[in-house]
Amino acid sequence: MHLGTAATVDVVIVIVYMLVILGIGTYFGKYVKTAKDFFLAGRMLPWWIIGFSIIGTNIGSYDYMGAAGNAYRVGITQANYEWIGAIPAMIISALIFIPFYWRAGVYTVPEFLGRRYNAAVRLIMALIWGVVLICFLGIFLYAAGLLLNSFLGWNVMWGIIIVAVIMGIYTVAGGLTAVVYTDLIQFCVMMIGSISIMVAGFIKVGGVSGLMAKLGEYNPQHLKLFLPLDNPDWPWLGMIFGLALVLSPAWWCCHQSIIQRTLGARSEWDAKAGMMLATFPKTLFAFFILLPGFFILLLSLPQGLANPDQALPEAIKALLPVGLTGLMFAAIIAAIQSTVDSTLNSLSTIWTRDIYQRFIVRKAADRHYLAFGRWLTVIFLVGGILFAPMTKMFPGIYLAMQYILSVFQGPTFAIMLLGILFRRVNQWGGLFGLVIGVLSAMIMLALDVGFLYTAWWSFVIAVVVNLLVSFLTKPDPIEKLTNLVYGLTARPMKGEANV
Amino acid sequence: MSEWLHSIPLYWAEVIGVLLFLAVIVFAWLMPREFVFGDALDQAGWRDLRIWATLICLIQIGLYLIFN
Repeated sequence: MHLGTAATVDVVIVIVYMLVILGIGTYFGKYVKTAKDFFLAGRMLPWWIIGFSIIGTNIGSYDYMGAAGNAYRVGITQANYEWIGAIPAMIISALIFIPFYWRAGVYTVPEFLGRRYNAAVRLIMALIWGVVLICFLGIFLYAAGLLLNSFLGWNVMWGIIIVAVIMGIYTVAGGLTAVVYTDLIQFCVMMIGSISIMVAGFIKVGGVSGLMAKLGEYNPQHLKLFLPLDNPDWPWLGMIFGLALVLSPAWWCCHQSIIQRTLGARSEWDAKAGMMLATFPKTLFAFFILLPGFFILLLSLPQGLANPDQALPEAIKALLPVGLTGLMFAAIIAAIQSTVDSTLNSLSTIWTRDIYQRFIVRKAADRHYLAFGRWLTVIFLVGGILFAPMTKMFPGIYLAMQYILSVFQGPTFAIMLLGILFRRVNQWGGLFGLVIGVLSAMIMLALDVGFLYTAWWSFVIAVVVNLLVSFLTKPDPIEKLTNLVYGLTARPMKGEANV
Repeated sequence: MSEWLHSIPLYWAEVIGVLLFLAVIVFAWLMPREFVFGDALDQAGWRDLRIWATLICLIQIGLYLIFN
């Protein structure tokens, strides 16, 4: 896919897709009457839409492009990010964390931490997520602009503006409802596009057996899920302890964009089942995003690709006919949009609920917060558009974001886990565990420990500090902990559990 | 310590991975039934999320055994 080479029919498919998304997303605006409707879809979401929306939010363009490139480079070990680095954590999230969030009736993860510990913990977490999500917004929008540039030949900035305006209109109008229903359509488009390239690829390489045989012949390591400890990027120990036990649970149990759609569930069971349902497409998508990398690896032998990150565009060019090419690009744009609209909605929710409503204007009418949330969405979108082109000045910015995530993911997960499981853990333990955990992670990163190991050790330090400080200080009163800690919950009445 | 770690055969990674999924299955079945169903409309078998968890973990174990 090079500048302006897309066939007319492919361009039409992409444009039709965008218009359909705009129309459907905007339609849901008529259901938004209160702040709860805007931020939590009125708590009316059924489990199946939550499940597909979670996957739409989770799979972004970096999964498509990056995973195909890594599959080309190192093989199926990349699938660990979708399998052991996701599935156990998603199940734990569904069975342990989500019931507590839902019963507490909170809008955000920092709000839950604020109730469980104290306002300082809430503020720190809200500021961390608020800033990190702004950066992510810019990076995602820039990726969208680059994609439209490579496919349609549009100017990058115009591409960013068009994608942002389309998403902005339906996110401002329909809030979380519009986001999750468009996520569903985007999920379907992603499925169709991915299946197209998978079928075309298997035909070229001789089916599953042909692919396995040729890959095994090229490099048996490409079919190994775990790589030796001397591998600099994917050592198996780091994969299990850093990724599966810390980074992944932190992502699936504490990430606002992921958790927010479960908070909008119509019942506690729907919230849990939504997350559980998402484990099935999550497993499947590993194949969708990795296989193009394998296909182009085999098709480009013996000379190979100069840049493995071009694995997906090259695979599309080599495998898909006109029409299906447009569909595949619509799928990648869908992946970007479904991630960006969720990020935008979560940003607006965190800054409205955890900062504006908690610390600035505490007792305004509901309509005030609804209007503020909408304006904030517009402001963040404009900020994202302006920030997006700057990301090109920092070529390693995406990798840097992974490092930034590893600074606070371990401590966040540590205080959340202890806070939900143990009533003896108190507000000071949570605060010191979070702060010292984050500081220790920063020191480890400065010492070049590697982000997988940094995540693990900062988690351990936060656990130890939290327990130590808690046992040295007075316990929190039991009435403060009701519905927030295991063993102190009341069974929810159907549809009435929320505060 | 590092030398000892490097001497661990690679197949232990797979063993630990499979054990992790088995642990998740055991954990799911240790959850009280009423906590799993919560406020579900009914307690039909298909709503039992422990069965969902078991199914997906078995699929994952299969994948980790294939790509070893």
